[in-house]
Amino acid sequence: MSKSDVEERKVRVYVMGREYKVPFGLTIMKAMEYAGYRFIRGAGCRGGFCGACATVYRIEGDYKLRVALACQKTVEDGMYLTQLPFTPANKPVYDVEKLSPSVNVLLEYYPEIAKCVSCNTCTKACPQDLEVMDYVQAALRGDFEEVARLSFDCITCGLCAMRCPTEIVPYSAALLARRLYGKYVMPRAKHVDERIKEIEEGKFDGEIKNLMSASLDVLKEMYTKREIEK
Amino acid sequence: MSELKLIRGYPKNMRESIELVEKTRDGRIKHPYKETYRFLTLEERDEVLQKHHPDYKREMKRALKIGPNKGDLVPLEIADILEAHSAVDPKDIDLSHVDYDTDILIIGSGGAGLAAALWANYSGTNAEDILIVTKLRFGDSNSKMSQAGIQAADRPQDSPMLHYLDIMGAGHFVNDPELVKTFVMEAPSIIKWHEKLGVMYDREPDGTMIEDLIGGLSRLRVHCCRDYTGLEIMRNLMDEVQNLGIPVLEFSPAIELIMNEYGQAAGAILWNMETEEYFIARAKSTILTTGGFGRLHIQGFPTTNHYGSTSDGLILAYRAGAKLRDMDSIQYHPTGAAYPEAIVGLLCTAKLRGRGAQPVNKYGEVFVNPLEPRDVEAAMIIRECYEKNNGVETQTGMRGVWLDTPMIDTLNGEGTIEKAFPAMFRQFNRQDIDIREDPILVFPTLHYQNGGVVINLKTETAVPSLFAAGEVTGGVHGKNRLVGNSWMELQVFGRRAGIYAAERAKKAKLGKLTLDHLVKYEEMLKEAGIETDRRSPVLLPEYRGERILSHALDIL
Amino acid sequence: MRIPYFPGCAMKTTAKNCEISGMAVASKLDIEMVELPRWNCCGVFPSLVNDDLMRHVAPIRNLIRVQEMNKSGIVENEYRLVTLCSMCYHTLKEANLFIKDKEKLTKINTFMDREEEYGGGVKVLSFLELLKEGGYEKIAKEVKKPLKGLKVAPYYGCLLLRPREIGVDDPENPTILEKLLEVLGADVVDNPCKTQCCGSYHTIDRKSIVGELAYNNLIYPIRNGAEVIATCCPLCTFNLDSRQKEAKELHRDLKEIPIIYYTQLMAIAFGLEEKIFGLDLNLHYIDPKPLLKAKNLY
Repeated sequence: MSKSDVEERKVRVYVMGREYKVPFGLTIMKAMEYAGYRFIRGAGCRGGFCGACATVYRIEGDYKLRVALACQKTVEDGMYLTQLPFTPANKPVYDVEKLSPSVNVLLEYYPEIAKCVSCNTCTKACPQDLEVMDYVQAALRGDFEEVARLSFDCITCGLCAMRCPTEIVPYSAALLARRLYGKYVMPRAKHVDERIKEIEEGKFDGEIKNLMSASLDVLKEMYTKREIEK
Repeated sequence: MSELKLIRGYPKNMRESIELVEKTRDGRIKHPYKETYRFLTLEERDEVLQKHHPDYKREMKRALKIGPNKGDLVPLEIADILEAHSAVDPKDIDLSHVDYDTDILIIGSGGAGLAAALWANYSGTNAEDILIVTKLRFGDSNSKMSQAGIQAADRPQDSPMLHYLDIMGAGHFVNDPELVKTFVMEAPSIIKWHEKLGVMYDREPDGTMIEDLIGGLSRLRVHCCRDYTGLEIMRNLMDEVQNLGIPVLEFSPAIELIMNEYGQAAGAILWNMETEEYFIARAKSTILTTGGFGRLHIQGFPTTNHYGSTSDGLILAYRAGAKLRDMDSIQYHPTGAAYPEAIVGLLCTAKLRGRGAQPVNKYGEVFVNPLEPRDVEAAMIIRECYEKNNGVETQTGMRGVWLDTPMIDTLNGEGTIEKAFPAMFRQFNRQDIDIREDPILVFPTLHYQNGGVVINLKTETAVPSLFAAGEVTGGVHGKNRLVGNSWMELQVFGRRAGIYAAERAKKAKLGKLTLDHLVKYEEMLKEAGIETDRRSPVLLPEYRGERILSHALDIL
Repeated sequence: MRIPYFPGCAMKTTAKNCEISGMAVASKLDIEMVELPRWNCCGVFPSLVNDDLMRHVAPIRNLIRVQEMNKSGIVENEYRLVTLCSMCYHTLKEANLFIKDKEKLTKINTFMDREEEYGGGVKVLSFLELLKEGGYEKIAKEVKKPLKGLKVAPYYGCLLLRPREIGVDDPENPTILEKLLEVLGADVVDNPCKTQCCGSYHTIDRKSIVGELAYNNLIYPIRNGAEVIATCCPLCTFNLDSRQKEAKELHRDLKEIPIIYYTQLMAIAFGLEEKIFGLDLNLHYIDPKPLLKAKNLY
């Protein structure tokens, strides 16, 4: 790097092998845009929620492959990176109305989870730092609550599926487990049912009508005087 | 530039300010915010908004010169896309060959588009007669990024009337009463539908929904799934769309609507982002669910929005003759991240304030009630930073105030932040900041399109056979949206769009396709004397630097 | 005593009746079986089928958890790991033997770079062995309701006994289960098929083979007067119990006979609460309750 590069605090990043000098402090995504890339694939929410920008990288001198989201990770000098904008994972079709929260259901739609060798590669591949292997194991023993708890923050970026040596798609199995958990195991909110009934019976029709036809002054007064719950 | 030494994520000057925040913390915890700083009266709200809210800078707006809203004041950036040429020259488009023939075309795959697709299917339209088209990936949207939650008045202590009042008050009382009434009455049934799908809402052990009271609300009413609410609901909706086999076309934005000889919307011209090929999609009903405009960076603000948020639906509808409303009202989320540079503009959920985190200035002093509606809160933060100069300045020149997050665990019990705010914890942890120990720096960020395309209860626009739902529409929120109401809007009106679009499609008659409305629009631009090489829809923001663009050659 | 316990996937699902009764009777014998934290599937599928290093990662990881339990004080100086499931027992013990080859152990340890190293010091025990170790007198003391008049035939299956290095007893003529049943007061019936294979994984796609084997494994003890078969392993139990359906289709002369885990028999003999017997979890194909009722044991 030249003297001015150092003064301007530039770092070297290697996008799919080609070197670019980019300002320190930029995220990988902004650094690539600085270098001239315009994202069509590989960019989504830009906020860490959608998994579109899953990136695999290695730091010069180290052999380990690391993972990150390009929109959240700041560049480091000597970063060799590539992106994985799409994972061609299989997704079976099912109807949650017809299923039950049992391990047999998970094994029926995702039989490959039984192949898990507990190698933990999926956990290492997760940019959200989730314990992926642990939730696959929880799925194997029908512990839906644990699957839901451990997999909740999953943004389905696809990296775990790409790295798994036995071709498991952990996040898909987890999605089915969470839906079954939310639908069948979590207790129902009775008050929601009760409120829907009240609405259908017209309990609030009169008062709402009054509000709708109230004059602006009356409405403002009602608004100002309304009590805020503690 | 010398090496900036960071102490647990923050440089020395910011650490010094944090020490002051820590000094005042105990006092602020002993006297909860409700008693420390009273709410502003309606008159005071008006005053602070006029003086400090970006919406009230007259020079940042101009009156539209053409179209159904001619004469209305809108932000310069919005006017720029409305007063722009189409990307399409009708002479280049062969309308005779239809590539996609469908009953219902849904443009956009966020919460509203997915709800529309599902309910169109539930109400009898076959999956293969619905087509969802998206600009980027399936599900890419602002919906997915939403954190705090979704409102529905389903507790005994709450009522649709209070929900109605809260919405009207926040919206400056100009909201469409019919839309708001329908909204509050149908909200609880959406929660029930989500329960059926398997959405994992936070609950008490007995099943009672855990609901938050956040800025502008009078009751605990915001349902959440920790702080990944949008993501959790979207995962369920997307899975359901895939299970039902509803076709989705990715990376194929609609770049113009197609009309027919009867003056109805009849589909759209789709454009493959990767191959640059255009496709003709003919539809009996078209639903616009294209979301917001954050990536237009109004007044140069950073944004919470996703990459594709460029208000495409607005210009598509406008060219077809739809009317807009409240486009002069832009929502700035009061607490966007202001430090570090890598995450500037990203959302710091309002739920943080809902659970007790107070905004304080660089001296650790409270200067606003944390539960004001968004526009008031944002204006107060801007005032604190730019009029009173009590904000913290970062090395990039960004100003902000502290949001005292460590209060949350103290007020609610250790472990609350990790349990209720995994997204926030992770977002800052990645930047070496532990929000359990240290406050975060925030400043208003461009967030939401309060107004938009005018719709009726059936989500019909002024253009026959053109429906719209979600952020692209106006009327539900008036001049300012409440936290958690956007997601409910997506569902209530997304559902209605699906149902009524399906109904309409059954009776639709296919006419000859035409792009005459584009020709007329071109003429309007000429007549109004608008000379520009701007084109819209913009589709994606341009983030490549001047340096690159000035040296780029389009040769291939 | 507090001893690390490895449940395995079946004990939490299809063999829940074995775990419930097993944990309860252990507790009566002052054995607290402490579940391994963050355990993963023993790896029976991959590791038994393949001889390579990768497929031994799963069981070794569990043995590391035993080390962690000691380090964090959940158990004190207890490096034995007890299992109820024969397949888990076999898989974990076999992995322990596999890594006696130091080169293989080093490779596996290096691969699992996010775990502490496995030192090789964990000892894998079957619950049957643990019971024997504690002494049958201790068990006899807890028998409140001897299984008088109940004619029980023991069934070991394969994985508990073979190969010799792994087996809990003599692979040709084991007696560890008989001794236990005698202490419980049962009439132990000789079962010439007690060490014969149940058909194992053929149950997935070759049900008829397993049905045929079930028939052959059951008619002899039945002819010897057995009224119930006592099993040790969830897969054997499934094959002998549920596949009686296929067995009956092939051989109409098969009389149905209930299959019950030895732990459940222990729970009955110890006079514990009925819900501990695990008979009402819908896991038995042939319901043992009528027989037990007739013997005044239920």
